Formats: sequence, C-alpha cells, structure tokens
Amino acid sequence: MTTTAPAPRRERVTDRDRSPAERAPERADHSRERVRGFDRVWLVVFLAPFLLLYLGFTLWPLAATIYYSFFDWSGIGPIDNFVGADNYGSILVDPLFWLSVVNTLIFALLTTVIKLPISLLAAIVLTRKWLRGKRFFRTLFFAPLIIPVAMAGLVFTYLLNPSNGALNAILRDLGLVDQGFDVFANRWSALLVLVLVSVWQIFGQYMIYWIAALQNVPEEVYEAAAIDGAGEWKKLTRITLPMIRPVAVIIALLGIVNAMHVFGLVVTLTAGGPGTSTYVVSYFIYQNAFGSVPFAYGYASAAALLFSVIAFVLVSAQGVAVRRAQRLRKEYGV
Amino acid sequence: MAAITKTTGIDQAARRSHRTRANLIALPILAVIGLVWVYPFLWTISAAFKTQAGMFTSGASLLPDQLNFDNFVRAWVNAGFSGYFFNTVLYSVVSTLIELVKAALCGYVLARYEFPGRTLLYRMIVGTLFIPVASIIVPQFVLIENLGLLNTRAGVILAMSGGAGALYVLLFVGFFSSVPSDLFEAAKLDGAGFLKTFGLILPLAKPVIAVVVIFQFISSWNEFNIPLVFTLGQPDLQNLAVGMLSFQGEHATDWTGFAAGMTISFLPMLAIFLFFQNYFTRGLAGATKG
Repeated sequence: MTTTAPAPRRERVTDRDRSPAERAPERADHSRERVRGFDRVWLVVFLAPFLLLYLGFTLWPLAATIYYSFFDWSGIGPIDNFVGADNYGSILVDPLFWLSVVNTLIFALLTTVIKLPISLLAAIVLTRKWLRGKRFFRTLFFAPLIIPVAMAGLVFTYLLNPSNGALNAILRDLGLVDQGFDVFANRWSALLVLVLVSVWQIFGQYMIYWIAALQNVPEEVYEAAAIDGAGEWKKLTRITLPMIRPVAVIIALLGIVNAMHVFGLVVTLTAGGPGTSTYVVSYFIYQNAFGSVPFAYGYASAAALLFSVIAFVLVSAQGVAVRRAQRLRKEYGV
Repeated sequence: MAAITKTTGIDQAARRSHRTRANLIALPILAVIGLVWVYPFLWTISAAFKTQAGMFTSGASLLPDQLNFDNFVRAWVNAGFSGYFFNTVLYSVVSTLIELVKAALCGYVLARYEFPGRTLLYRMIVGTLFIPVASIIVPQFVLIENLGLLNTRAGVILAMSGGAGALYVLLFVGFFSSVPSDLFEAAKLDGAGFLKTFGLILPLAKPVIAVVVIFQFISSWNEFNIPLVFTLGQPDLQNLAVGMLSFQGEHATDWTGFAAGMTISFLPMLAIFLFFQNYFTRGLAGATKG
C-alpha cells in the first residue's frame, strides 16, 4: 500500500512528541513546482470545477448569509427592507434560539463523549489478530450508517412508541412497567433518545476512522515492545493511544462539528417536541426559513451566523485547550 | 535444532489454545451486542412481511405473522417508491462523480504546484470543514432559485455536490503530496506533459478514490436537508430519505408499507458495502496514513 501523509494536516497537531517511526514517512513533497508556459492553462482547468462550485455554494452563500441578516426579507420580492442589527437584537432575546443552542451543544457534547470511546473500543477489539469473524462484526456495526438518518428516526418512533412499540413490549414482558411510557413526552428523555439513536446511527463511521488510525501504527513497534515484555495493556496505553493521538484530535473535532449539524433525526424523531423543547439550531433555522409563511430569511440568516460564530469559538477554544494540555503534560513530564 | 523446533511447536499450540479461549469469550459478547445493534433492521425487514393487524399486536417480535409481499408491491407501485429509488440512485451517482472529479483535480494541483494564492486557497478549504450546512442553506436556495433550477433534479444534484467537498480535497492533497518526486521526474524524462503525468499518477490514488466514492455515495444516499428544501414544490423529485417522510405523513397508518419501502432502500446499500468492505477499510487506512 502506498504511504500517504497528509502533510499539511499534520501541522495542526503538535509536532514534537512523535516517535521516529511516525515521523519517517512524511513529506516527500519538498519540490512543489512552479507552473510554466502552457501548463498554466491546465492549472486553471484543473482548479475550475472546484472553484466554481466552491464559490457558488460555499463562499457566496457565506457572504450572502451575512448580507441577508441585516434585512427583513421573506424571500419574495426585492431585498430592500434594511433593518440593521435588528435581527440580531431579536435573536439575542429569543428564548427559543437559546434553547436550540443549548440543546445543540448538549447533543453534540453527549454524542461525542459516548460515540468516540465506544467506537474506539470496538475498533480495538475488531482489529485483534486472533479474533474470528472480524469482517462480519464490522459490517454489523457499520450497518446503521447505510440507512438514511430520517428513516432511522421513523423506525425508532415506532419501536419506542408507548402503546405497542418494541421497547415497551419488552419492558412489559419483563414486568418492569405495567403501563407504556412515552419517551418523547419529556424534554430530557427525548434528548437522550436523540443522542442514543444518533450514536447508533453514526457509530460505524467513527469505528472505521479508528480502525484506519490503528492500522497505521507500524507492526514493528508492537513486536519491539513484545520483546521488551510489554503486555497488552501496556501496549495499548504506551504505544497505541499515544501514536494515534494526532489522528484522534481530528476525529474528535469532526465528531463535534458533525454533531452540531444534527437535523434529519430531529425532524423525524421528535419534530422539536414535546412542544419546542428539543429544537436544535438547524431545525430552528429551517423552521424560520422554510417552515411557515411568511418566511423569515433575514432572521434565519442572522441565527445561522450567530450560531456559526458560537460554534467556531467553541471549536477553536477546544483546539487551544488540547494544545495547552499537551504542552503542560510535556513540561511536567506526565 | 530438533529441540528448538519442538519448543516452538509447544509455544504455538499454547498460543493457539489461548486464542481459541479468547475467541470463546469475545464472540458470544460480540454476537449479543451485534444482535441488539441490528435489531431495528431485523424488525423492519420482518415488519415488511407483516399484515397491518399483525404489526400492531406483535410488539418486539421478529417473526412475521405471515409472509405476504403486498407491502412491497404497495410501497413500490402505489406510494411512489420506484420514483424515489430512481431519484436517489441518480442523485448519488452523479454527485459522487462530480465530487470525485473536482476533488481529484484540485487536490492534484494543490499538492504538486506552487501558484499565487495557493496557501490562501488551502486555508480556506480547511476553514470550510467547520461551516454548518444549515448556516448557508438559505442563500444556496436563493442561488438555485435564481438559476431557475428550483424543483429540478439538476438543482438538487448541484446543491448536493457544491458543498462539503473540503475533506475529499484534503485527502487527495495528502495523497499526491506523498507520491515520491522521482516518479514525476521519470514521467518528465519520458516526455509526459501535464495531462499525461496526471494520467500516470492518478491510478496510484485508488485507495483515496475508494474512500471518496464510498463516503460521498453514502452521504448523498442519506442526504435529507438538501432534497427536502430543494424539492418542496415537487415531491416526485424527492429521494428515499425525504420521500419516506411524506409517505409516513400521507399514509399515517401504513407502517408495513413503510417498512417494506425501507427494506427496499437499504438492501442495495448493504450489498454495496459488503462487496467493497475490504477495499474500504484498507483504502481509508491508506488515505489517512500518518
């Protein structure tokens, strides 16, 4: 297999504490060429598809979101009702927005805290050489990823429904409850269901990320450790975990960011309910922009922007915290 | 010599029995967790064969009260699943192709060539990894509307492949950066130009291509937000994920038809994953190496 080192990605991660084995394959790319002559045309041709779509569907929308957020605009007719910071003013005092933000953050934090460790554990177990049926079990745990989130949501609304859903049927058969209870009737249990179903659904993706990370630890390092008499636990804590740490930071970041986008599951599982108590930011934006006439595009845009800022601050704060923690650990030698 | 062979033999036997014991502990645990894990699938498949009445009384049971195929017929013919299915395949295939082409070309250039604005472009791509889709969907909607593509298949495809390609570009940049420069020198000595060189190097990127194809295919197959918003006025352009939702709304009691529709939609993905699984994990390991 060809070795591939995403060199620029590594720069975001601490550079100092890597073992020589890890440092070896990096950077075959010291010679990036200048383009000459006719090749310049090819350069433009190669960049064009990406740039066109990127400008149209990412950069321009970003700029437009900022622009719309200063208008009271319903999406119909010209954008001429400039309201300045009014949208922001209303959002800052909109309790539903803040409830959505809090719910989104709780959701993102809980799913990340649950899915990362257990998917790592599964990956460690499912990369053991002695284990039989690895392929089978990997497929099993990956399976929920192939059904659309929205469908997963609908299936679980049925499985969890109080009158004849599977969960209540099992609980009744075991004699634990005598009346069906409705997990969607309460904000906290509804949020918990969202978290658990989401973990169930996305688990396979993170398991595969971890498996990929684990497979990149060179076999020789384990062999050397085995010769020195290291047991499985020592190998795990002294070799595996430290060596996959740079990748782990990226996986954790992706995990949190992706969880902040949660939408389809909320639509199908709780529809923001009971009442509005499980609103998340995507759903809040959707409801304002497309949910009911008159559409409030300006308001939705301001909400989107405000949340992006909050998310960005939190994510970068996390990055800074991780880096500081690593530096402290270095200094104190722990 | 004989002694050594003998000890290794005993060693191996001991290790083998150790492994068997480990398997005896691990396999049942994994089997139980695995069964719980895929229970919703099994339940859905079973419900697809149940009658309406049987479904409401069967609770957690996985055994259908009878084997009837009406549900599949109803879902496929009456509820428009054949259309949703066609849309889903079309959206997924085309958007995967677009993502692949744009990421491979852009990644190649970013990795191999120095040009004005390269660093800026690279940083911007990394930055967009963290933009929530929901925060830019309103202007995307306006753009598609202005292009006259609202409620068309082309509009959905454009929106689906216009967005989050950043991760894929980064994977390709990482891969092409790691190709030894000797290879490029050799190609140049043989007189290969820009395009020819790319053609020679691209096949080496198979692991990355596999990952991009599978990730993008799965995510566009499952895409919910974009098809929902961009087909609000034209339900027959919806994909399975969104169509399923309206199906539930319009046929509120037809859970067995819904289960049949769902079974139809996840079986192809399961087959694809089973077929490509090895390539996938190996590809991802190769693509993220380092």
